[in-house]
Amino acid sequence: MNPEATTNPAQRSAPALEPAVEAVGLVKHYGDVVALDGLDLTVERGRFFGLLGPNGAGKSTTVSILATLATPTAGRARLLGRDVVTERAAVRRDVGLVFQETTLDRELTAREQLDLHARLYHLDERPRRVREALAGVGLERDADRPVRGFSGGMKRRLELARGLLHRPRVLFLDEPTLGLDVAARAAVWERLRALHASGEVTIFLTTHSMEEADALCEEIAIVDRGRLVTRGAPSALKAALGGDVVRLALGRPQGAAEALARVPGVARVEPEADDTQERLRVTVAEGPRRLAQLLEVARPFEVLEVELHRPSLEHVFLHHTGRAFERDGPGAAA
Amino acid sequence: MNFLSDLAAIVRREWLRYRRDRAYWVGQLVFPLVVVGFIGFGLNGVVRLPGEGTNYLGHLASGILALLVGSGGVGGGMTLIQDRESGFLRALLVAPVSRSAIVLGKILSRVGASVALVLLLVAILASFTPLRLPHPGAALLAIAAVTAAFVALGIALATRLRSLESFRLLAGLVTVPLYLLSGIFYPVSTLPAPSRWLARLNPLTYGVDLLRYGLLDVHEFSVAASSAFLLALTVAAITVAVVAFDRGSRA
Repeated sequence: MNPEATTNPAQRSAPALEPAVEAVGLVKHYGDVVALDGLDLTVERGRFFGLLGPNGAGKSTTVSILATLATPTAGRARLLGRDVVTERAAVRRDVGLVFQETTLDRELTAREQLDLHARLYHLDERPRRVREALAGVGLERDADRPVRGFSGGMKRRLELARGLLHRPRVLFLDEPTLGLDVAARAAVWERLRALHASGEVTIFLTTHSMEEADALCEEIAIVDRGRLVTRGAPSALKAALGGDVVRLALGRPQGAAEALARVPGVARVEPEADDTQERLRVTVAEGPRRLAQLLEVARPFEVLEVELHRPSLEHVFLHHTGRAFERDGPGAAA
Repeated sequence: MNFLSDLAAIVRREWLRYRRDRAYWVGQLVFPLVVVGFIGFGLNGVVRLPGEGTNYLGHLASGILALLVGSGGVGGGMTLIQDRESGFLRALLVAPVSRSAIVLGKILSRVGASVALVLLLVAILASFTPLRLPHPGAALLAIAAVTAAFVALGIALATRLRSLESFRLLAGLVTVPLYLLSGIFYPVSTLPAPSRWLARLNPLTYGVDLLRYGLLDVHEFSVAASSAFLLALTVAAITVAVVAFDRGSRA
């Protein structure tokens, strides 16, 4: 693990406020299965943070511990400065949680569901807040229908409304768009972006979707097999791989490598052996902006093919773990 | 203060569910009427109860109501498995609500449902059986104790079992002997010796007897002793249920 991972400039500049989430050496065993194997994690307040990893990496276990639903086998964790094991009651008040699977009472209507939670969190002005919460996720017309008849997207929106009803200071979202169609997912994303823009809440999201983490999060941590692999802003993680890659197949490659290496932003030019064709692999910062210039320089060498590859979080994961991402991890505990 | 409002919220939710569960009400109303109507009337002419101040119809009707209260209690424990299967339990557990409020809410809502059911059935059964309500306090205590004990049993099972099927099976295995050896169908004094001793060890026997006292003004055992025992049982059952649930809900 990277030792710089747990300290962060924002934390040093604002020492008065405890981080939203601070976990040190979290270990969780379920029988013989090691779900977490010494996870360290700090999330500053107000961030849109993503915990990214394959299925079984320990994401849901992490959320369960931070939200007081599971007790760590070892290690400790604090939420807004409060211990999640010894100060459960106080932590619960500050936490909103949207689970991976449905956690609604199917027999209650949407309104009754939210009203119940407003009561459990001792909220004032229940009817108004419930009404506003339903409107916030576009469910006001279905408010008095039993949840039983809701679609997957409607249920997820209702869960989101419930998770936000008591204005939590930290909102956990465990795979919030898993199993949703594209339109429903877009609706959830939109709501989350608006929520983050309001600046009132720290959002802690887990996902196994690289696309989701990349689209939403300011900062991500990649976990694999119960341990932190790397963390940082998505763009920084991708940039750490050295930039974009432009692959060129040339008709007359002699001297091309030297010429291309002189283009501003180019980090390196490597030949790429191929059975049929000789290619050059140009690693360059800001690939899309430099592409025209690269082609201009390459023109005399007879450009046959051009490919531009932008590094994705998939590449980051592959780079750090040596494994491709979209494969289920070992062990069933998620 | 918070505890009471949490309790009220939990009870309210359980009631919203009961109210919509028509099958529950129809089943719970029809079953005792059918049993008492067919078996009770048939046996009433052939069975003479020794020493009791009632006929077999009254004995069976009050016993069946106790059975109903007991199975209602088990059903209350079973809602915990349903809540877990639907996922709702997790949302409940992450809320700032004490575990004891959740358990007590489940018990109280079942007691409420059972009281409503017993009152309704006594009103119907009074037209053709000797059932009345001479001692409402005793009846209430019996209903509360039996419900709490069976919810506790249900929760203790529910925290160990993952599926509804195995819960139903095991709950049946545990409760049927309790029902058979509790004086629901025959007075305990008429049972042969070994069964009689087992019946005297069965807590449900005293709940059945006290309910019978409440509904018919007849009893086999001391009312004061039964009441004291059932009160203690209620407290113990609630404690067991809370502890079992608290342990079971911690991963």
